[in-house]
Amino acid sequence: MEFENFPQTEPLRDGRSVIVREMTISDESRMVEFFQGLPLEDRLFLRNDVSQPEVVHHFVRDTEDQVLNLVAELDGKIVASATLERGLYGWTRHVGEVRLVVARPWQRCGLAKVLLRHLVRAAPTAGIEIIKGQVAGGKVGAQKALEAMGFRKEATLRRHVKDVAGRKRDLLILTNDVSHIWEKMEALNADFSPTQGE
Amino acid sequence: MASTGIRIGGLGGQGVILSGIILGKAASIFDGKNATLIQAFGPEARGSACSAQVTIADAPVAYPYVQNPDVLVVMSSDAYTQFIPTLKADGLLLYEEELVTPKDLPPGVKAYGIPATRIAEELGRRLVLNIVMVGFFAGVTGVVSLVAAEKALLSSVPKGTESLNLNAFRRGYEHGRSLVGAA
Repeated sequence: MEFENFPQTEPLRDGRSVIVREMTISDESRMVEFFQGLPLEDRLFLRNDVSQPEVVHHFVRDTEDQVLNLVAELDGKIVASATLERGLYGWTRHVGEVRLVVARPWQRCGLAKVLLRHLVRAAPTAGIEIIKGQVAGGKVGAQKALEAMGFRKEATLRRHVKDVAGRKRDLLILTNDVSHIWEKMEALNADFSPTQGE
Repeated sequence: MASTGIRIGGLGGQGVILSGIILGKAASIFDGKNATLIQAFGPEARGSACSAQVTIADAPVAYPYVQNPDVLVVMSSDAYTQFIPTLKADGLLLYEEELVTPKDLPPGVKAYGIPATRIAEELGRRLVLNIVMVGFFAGVTGVVSLVAAEKALLSSVPKGTESLNLNAFRRGYEHGRSLVGAA
């Protein structure tokens, strides 16, 4: 599948810039370093224990369900990871899910939005009609980044998240229906007579 | 002064008119030429015969109707049957090769085919068949420049579809360039 051309240099709100590119197998050691550098609180919100090198070993190789796997780097150091995944079979194969992790020093500078924008652009190309994102209650920045990219709150799962202090939080499910993008294209292609219906 | 009359024919819903709009926009807005567009429809919105007439010229276009096109682009068998008699004796035929089988071509006519539907499906959206054809037109004829055509395309399609549409255009363009032996 052909997406945008990477790598791309992306300027951020605070004047810094990063290189956004697709992750490769050769990134394994850099990804381990990146994930191990995350505070425990941030790692708890991830699906797998990516502080373990063997987990990262599979993450960079078992990419069958990954539509697009991006990293943001500066001076050879990975500072964020963003993945668009999808189920390959079954009744939700039109639904993709975004997973995004940004290192603490790179939060609140618009990097999450930059990466999400690339993932959202890629989704229709991959035939994904709905993109889903999960955010722990109270993670206002993450929720705002998703909402800025067209995601809307779809559901709240009460007390589904247990944070590092053992407190239970809500889990928010946000979705972005990108199928309308191609409905617009279909309308453009409709070859309607301008006088039809008058 | 150079002037090129183009007729694009197909079925309603294939994006015939959008193809004409993109070519006209490329020529007039981004290549600094002049262009006109005339569109014709059957009685139904979809599935009926549909065509666009585009004139691209260095000078202002005084008469926008294209009765005998220099270039005929067809995306359906019916459009081929209907419009091939109108193509100039030394004209150029561009056709979707899985939907159209040219026969009884006048001897002076050059014809180039492209599996645009298959390419569009490979890219994930049959809907971009017309964009593959636009790229094919640009690649074979050079009547609109690559840069202008890409700008016109990107300014004509919905946000979020740019990447796939651009890929579709480039696949058509490259196929066209390879057929005419361009580097």
